[in-house]
Amino acid sequence: MIKVENLKKSFGDNEVLKNINAIVAPQEVVVVIGPSGSGKSTFLRCINQLETITGGHIFIEGLDTTDKKVNINKVRTEVGMVFQHFNLFPHKTVIDNIMLAPLKVRKVTKEQASQRGMELLKKVGLAEKANAYPDSLSGGQKQRVAIARALAMEPKIMLFDEPTSALDPEMVGEVLEVMKQLAKEGMTMVVVTHEMGFAKEVGDRVIFMDEGFIIEENIPSEIFDNPQQERTKAFLSKVL
Amino acid sequence: MNFRWDIIFEYAPYLLKGTILTIGLSVSSILIGTFLGLLIGLGKIMRNKVLAFPFYCYVTVFRGTPLLVQIFLIHFGIVPFFTGETNAITAGVIALSLNAAAYIAEIFRAGIQSIDKGQMEGARSLGMTHTQTMIHVVLPQAFKRMIPPLGNEFIVLLKDSSLLCVIAAPELMYWGKAMGGQYFKVWEPYLACAFIYLCLTLILSFVLNRLESRLKTE
Repeated sequence: MIKVENLKKSFGDNEVLKNINAIVAPQEVVVVIGPSGSGKSTFLRCINQLETITGGHIFIEGLDTTDKKVNINKVRTEVGMVFQHFNLFPHKTVIDNIMLAPLKVRKVTKEQASQRGMELLKKVGLAEKANAYPDSLSGGQKQRVAIARALAMEPKIMLFDEPTSALDPEMVGEVLEVMKQLAKEGMTMVVVTHEMGFAKEVGDRVIFMDEGFIIEENIPSEIFDNPQQERTKAFLSKVL
Repeated sequence: MNFRWDIIFEYAPYLLKGTILTIGLSVSSILIGTFLGLLIGLGKIMRNKVLAFPFYCYVTVFRGTPLLVQIFLIHFGIVPFFTGETNAITAGVIALSLNAAAYIAEIFRAGIQSIDKGQMEGARSLGMTHTQTMIHVVLPQAFKRMIPPLGNEFIVLLKDSSLLCVIAAPELMYWGKAMGGQYFKVWEPYLACAFIYLCLTLILSFVLNRLESRLKTE
């Protein structure tokens, strides 16, 4: 589904990603963990090229999306993203947030967009908030709306960039619940998170990154109970 | 001091005519200036520095020279150069619009740049193009933030339209001066003008405040 080859990314002289290779299979949930500054968010943002990559290739369903001839906007319609700070549009109501991209990009009718939007709001448990503005919602509600907004484009892959890091502790659960549901339904997901419980429970595979490299990757039980690398052990001893 | 209300009443029809022209000049300059200002503001934030340079120059020149000088140059120089003759109202609208556009461009630029980059990323991650994102996500939010500084600029423009009396555009201040000249009076004509300008700016602020509160989303 996603194949990353020799991915490199620098900001000026600062090399953030140094030769990353990774594969994500269809319907797989890959959780990326690592200390802050390890490059995990940048790695995720390179997948849909919110960051312009410095070198390497990213294939999505076999298509080299780093090829200049590829329309990146088209690729992004297939790859949903959820951000740490939600990035909802504050001047639009919840339902309008969800309908905007289907209307403008997919060119669906208003009826279709609104019907699908309401279905998605029901799914994330916020149907009654359809006409509220994002600023009146709690953090957890905002993030659930953001997930619904991404799903409205019917993406094949979902990227989550620390979706619970900006939330009050009591709201983390409701967001993770929606994500678990999505995983169960077979969505291909790449999740950058500090929620080790989620990684253990939902992840099919865990990638541990540090200083721009993938240090270790394995099934969750192996990573958490039997890490091979010293740096993985050191990191896990601090967070678990 | 003997305040002569009678000469104000005598001049009332002219002051009214002048006020209408002042409103006309200001409204058309606000509309043209805002449109040009948006284009120049967008031009100035282009990533390509070579393409952005002319817009940068425009703002520098029009912000860096006095409006009065621009009015003279446009009235006696630029308009006659293109049409062979000059017209105070046309020259006035051009001068006010071009001058305001420079300030409004800066307001647009600041407004656009004040929108969190997460908004751009959020929309782009959904597959929207840069232009779609600008139109549907960034500009509507930026516009809301721009209302207070734009309101300031509109008020300044309205008051600056009084400078057009020096090229004999028959707006409010022109008739004030005519009245002062005819009766050798100072207080009556200029206080009458000041009062009318104050009413106009108060109405303008009221309209802008209403607009701002209507766009509130909380």
